Amino acid sequence: MSVATPYQDAVFSFWPRHNETLIKRLESKDAWLSTKRGFEVSRIEDALEHEMILNIGPQHPATHGVLRCVVKLDGERIEKCVLDIGYLHRGIEKLAESKTYQEFMPYTDRMDYLSPYANNVAWCMAVEKLANIEVPERAQWIRMIMCELARISSHMLWLGVGLMDAGAVSVFLWTFQGREDLYSIFDEVSGARFTVSHSRIGGLATDLSPTAIRMIKDFATRYKEIIKGWQKLLNRNRIWIDRNKDIGMVSKEEAIELGLTGPNLRGSGVAYDIRTFEPYLKYDDVDFTIPLRDEGDCLARYHIRVEEMLESIRIIDQCLDRLPKGPIRTDDAKKAYPSKDEVYYSMEGMIHDFMYTETGVAPPKGASSYHAIESPKGELGFYLESDGTGSPWRARLNAPSFTNLQGLESIMEGHPIADIVVLIGSIDPVMGEADR
Amino acid sequence: MVVKALRTHQAWLMPETLKFHFTPVDEVRADEKNVHEKASTNVADTIETLKKQFPGDIEDIFVYAGEYTAFVKRESLLEVCAALKESLGFSYLVDLAGIDHFREDAPRYEVYYGLVNLDTGKRLRLKVLLDEDDAVVPSLTGLFKAADWNERECFDMLGIQFDGHPDLRRMYMPEDFEYYPQRKEFPLLGIPGSLPLPPRTPEGGLTMDPFAAARRGSPAKSYQEPEGEVD
Repeated sequence: MSVATPYQDAVFSFWPRHNETLIKRLESKDAWLSTKRGFEVSRIEDALEHEMILNIGPQHPATHGVLRCVVKLDGERIEKCVLDIGYLHRGIEKLAESKTYQEFMPYTDRMDYLSPYANNVAWCMAVEKLANIEVPERAQWIRMIMCELARISSHMLWLGVGLMDAGAVSVFLWTFQGREDLYSIFDEVSGARFTVSHSRIGGLATDLSPTAIRMIKDFATRYKEIIKGWQKLLNRNRIWIDRNKDIGMVSKEEAIELGLTGPNLRGSGVAYDIRTFEPYLKYDDVDFTIPLRDEGDCLARYHIRVEEMLESIRIIDQCLDRLPKGPIRTDDAKKAYPSKDEVYYSMEGMIHDFMYTETGVAPPKGASSYHAIESPKGELGFYLESDGTGSPWRARLNAPSFTNLQGLESIMEGHPIADIVVLIGSIDPVMGEADR
Repeated sequence: MVVKALRTHQAWLMPETLKFHFTPVDEVRADEKNVHEKASTNVADTIETLKKQFPGDIEDIFVYAGEYTAFVKRESLLEVCAALKESLGFSYLVDLAGIDHFREDAPRYEVYYGLVNLDTGKRLRLKVLLDEDDAVVPSLTGLFKAADWNERECFDMLGIQFDGHPDLRRMYMPEDFEYYPQRKEFPLLGIPGSLPLPPRTPEGGLTMDPFAAARRGSPAKSYQEPEGEVD
């Protein structure tokens, strides 16, 4: 017999009202997608035998972080589903209000931690738009290369973990080998493997070294073949297709209605990709296609992500060929950090460096703008509002994982319980981003 | 006003900071050309159509960096959005959030809506101004299902009520939490006791203030200090 310590008492009485409202919501909810399609849930009189409320997560490896799903089961089928998020909520929107624009940039690494470089670039570009800062050509091309590498890195993790969710472990090891190579590139470029923090407002921290360019070239040539090899293994794999085909169907109209973004939206046949919708950086100068599928099931999303990796490699190849020479940061001390040479060898440089750290850019009072990029997960946008000082009055982060998870709540309903894991995997949420 | 009361109330929570106003504050200049302007945000014609269709309901237009923001009257928000969705093709809601302006001379809150037209490739922003005493907006969940979680988040963070929302629960914070953390008067270090965490020692009580050290209090340690050898 165990004796209850005060600690245990405390644990068991945490947030009683929260769980109550969750269950209440589960009972009163209307399963939107199922109702819309006229899906009949068999009503069996003896509820004790067939109905059950199951809690999955937040501590569960298949939820890719700390996602909590509370599902009401009818036999083996999910009748209703309520997602509970916020277990990784750090309030970074609030934190941004007390940081300077440049100071906040490392926080964006911790949002979608599978593609930190894309977040850095998204933040810096949002600030550049708000403060009207021009970025040198070379920095833009390098940002493009690194964003595409981040996309490959994110999709590789998704592929490996997604397959492990479906029961295949070997692909996980292969894709993690790929991510290891990418980490080495990020390490060479920025000095950090995971949280890169390499982009700066007005440009980049450092230029690419010859070694880094060689490594990226090598990666691009090798992985073109390797990814095609994965396609050979999976595109006709009976188990993988059976687990994914016709699972999690979302039609075009439903996807728009649910507000899905990124590969999940394009898997339903909506050609919405910010790289072509409103081209940023140099995306209108390179030649690439946006993979698009009409089926709207998990298999379509798989195809899109793998094809996107190959397209990313195509973009990287073109960027490396066309990489211009020139500065990597704008040469305006009011708008970007001065170079280290200036800081160490001139008094003005020293003062500028200090001022930039202390205050940084100060966009006009009352200015507000929204800038979005196509991150691996979808539309990653920042809405910024300035009060004329060095820190934002309001920094709003529009996270793709958050919007996709909202869709997942509806998509899950009506599926067998065994598909939960595959569905979460195919939507590809990252809780660091969804929970802000 | 509540704002004023809260400002003075806040004084004991915030450490004294050095007032250091050396940055000249720039104003928005209409003639400045933004280098990041995108063709997709130029929706002057849509706004003209809206103005014709709803005379008097579009209160103001704000343009910065080539982005159009239309300030809509709260009473006609639903009609404007329905028209945008049904006849003007803005069927995709990408973003929705609240802003706390924390000012006394003008409406305190703002809620903004980011809408996208997928066919013509245009992006439009609507804004609704809300008074502090009456922070209620009609919910858009009937028109756009995607507004659901965003409205819940806005309610959770800023305490703005969405009239007609089917499920206005908190998004991130537990239901037992009593404050709205993204309001400007909410202290950055949280309010002690509002969010108890598990004890730091096996026998200890709940941790009422996780940031005690930042308030110059002594935090409970999770390990036992060796006795003696202290000078």
